[in-house]
Amino acid sequence: MSNTVEDPIAGGVLIEDSPSAKVPAVSRLRRHRAWLGLLPFFAFLFIFLLLPTLGVIRKAFLANDDTYTTKGFTTAISQEGAAFWNSLKISLITAILGVIFGTALAYAAATAKRPKWLRSLVSAFSGVAANMGGIILAFLFLTLLGRQGLGTKILTDNGWNPYKSWFSINDFSGVVLVYMYFQIPLMVLVTLPAIDGLKTSWREASANLGGTTLTYWRRVGLPVLAPSMLGGFLLLFANAYSAYATAYALNTQSNLVPIKISFFLQGDVTGRSPVPFALATWMILFMAVSMGGYLVLRKRAERWQQSAVA
Amino acid sequence: MAAISSRLKAYLGRIGPSLVLLAAAVFFIAPILSTARAAFHKVPTILLDRHTWFKKWSLEGVRRALDEPFFWPTLSLSLKLALVTVLITMMLLVPTALFVHLRLPRARALVEFLTVLPYVVPPIALVAGVAAFFRPNARWFLNSDFALAPFYVVMAMPFTYRAIDAGIKAIDVRTLVDASRSLGGSWATTLRKALLPNMASSLLSSAFLTATVVLGEFTIASTLAKNTFATFSFEYFSRDAQGGVGLALFTLLATTALLGMMTLLTRSKSRKAATVTRF
Repeated sequence: MSNTVEDPIAGGVLIEDSPSAKVPAVSRLRRHRAWLGLLPFFAFLFIFLLLPTLGVIRKAFLANDDTYTTKGFTTAISQEGAAFWNSLKISLITAILGVIFGTALAYAAATAKRPKWLRSLVSAFSGVAANMGGIILAFLFLTLLGRQGLGTKILTDNGWNPYKSWFSINDFSGVVLVYMYFQIPLMVLVTLPAIDGLKTSWREASANLGGTTLTYWRRVGLPVLAPSMLGGFLLLFANAYSAYATAYALNTQSNLVPIKISFFLQGDVTGRSPVPFALATWMILFMAVSMGGYLVLRKRAERWQQSAVA
Repeated sequence: MAAISSRLKAYLGRIGPSLVLLAAAVFFIAPILSTARAAFHKVPTILLDRHTWFKKWSLEGVRRALDEPFFWPTLSLSLKLALVTVLITMMLLVPTALFVHLRLPRARALVEFLTVLPYVVPPIALVAGVAAFFRPNARWFLNSDFALAPFYVVMAMPFTYRAIDAGIKAIDVRTLVDASRSLGGSWATTLRKALLPNMASSLLSSAFLTATVVLGEFTIASTLAKNTFATFSFEYFSRDAQGGVGLALFTLLATTALLGMMTLLTRSKSRKAATVTRF
């Protein structure tokens, strides 16, 4: 880039910002100096995010004699295989159910004509419930479906004792049910804008061209919703995989990856065992893949929503 | 005839969505109702029947929770942590976002990418990192209760930055700055009198959301053995279930009130602003 760039708007003045070799050293310095304004931001992230993350990864590969090895990283899977499997199962099941019920709820709320406040109620409540997680949520469900819960009592009085059947709030089935309380609302928040983006004129256009309801959904509706639904699935998967507090409050002995990490962290005072750090590194890998996919798909989904606003 | 059948069809078409809404209402409201009963009704579920249903309702459980010696200290710590987290967030992210907009648009993609990185390191992995790095290298730092705040800033960053950035995009920053500067305003005056008032609703919504996240945060606080409101709630629940449930109800109402206030405040300011969430 040795040719001089002239800015037509500025009337032939040399643009200071152009990456030209002819730009004097002083202004190049000024260009780079502008990055100093972001120094506090970079420093903060470096200290409180990057250093801890690198610390986790380093410890995952550190052996007892201070040499680096991949042994801890791989034994974490074999030793805690059950926790991995349980976490994967819970995340997959609650993500799939969350996508189905969340989309259905968002569609029902978005298309309902009466009452008028219904849609904003569903969206506002979803905002609260999706953020709810944590131990409070576990308490709510313990009062409903714990062994002494009101719901358990009502179901038992009506002839079905969940605890004599397959359900228990403290095991797998309980965690799945409780996670739905934040997974469904989260999916509502993800798909609601996309469903709003489905314009009625598209449906009319499809009908005018002889399309049935099925054709409309297959050729127009689902393709437009697909990025949001797939992105929502990845987001929900990541959300369930990394959730700790709710599962811990339901059962401190749950065999799930986040609970295992905390168990090892609190139990191992010397900090020598690579297991919690290996588990955390695996989690970071899972998160990177699923959240990365989600963010890419969100960008794609927003395309239709912007055109819908315009 | 045709009109009737099309109306009938419309009604039938609404059956599915109505059932979905009804089922959702039951699923989402039932746990809240059962919590309210458990908090205010001093009758064990086993003894619950027609005769006991109307007896022994009282505020005693909630009052016991408020009388707990650890209630106020832990609540005040959590509120202070929320305040400190919000302040650090604002002091760090507002200048950064403005700087990117006004001086360094080239850095936008990079900064946006960095602010969503905390998604990749969830709290349980972050706290493992704290154990791996800060425990051996900066023990003194972790001894302070306020050591939690910077990590909460990081945790909240994906949505706080998005909210602040959206607030900046919604106003014409360049014109406001030029106008204020050409009238002789200093940078501080420009920020205080021109920019911040126009960004108020987006700043408020990210502040409220941060506060609710901090008040409910359990993972990091519990692993680092800090006595915040969330860890107290958990410990208290295992001692006194009814009081613990009363506490849960209190937290739920407070959180809902905060988020409700946020929705109201943001809606009156700008109708287009999207609901800010954690994601």
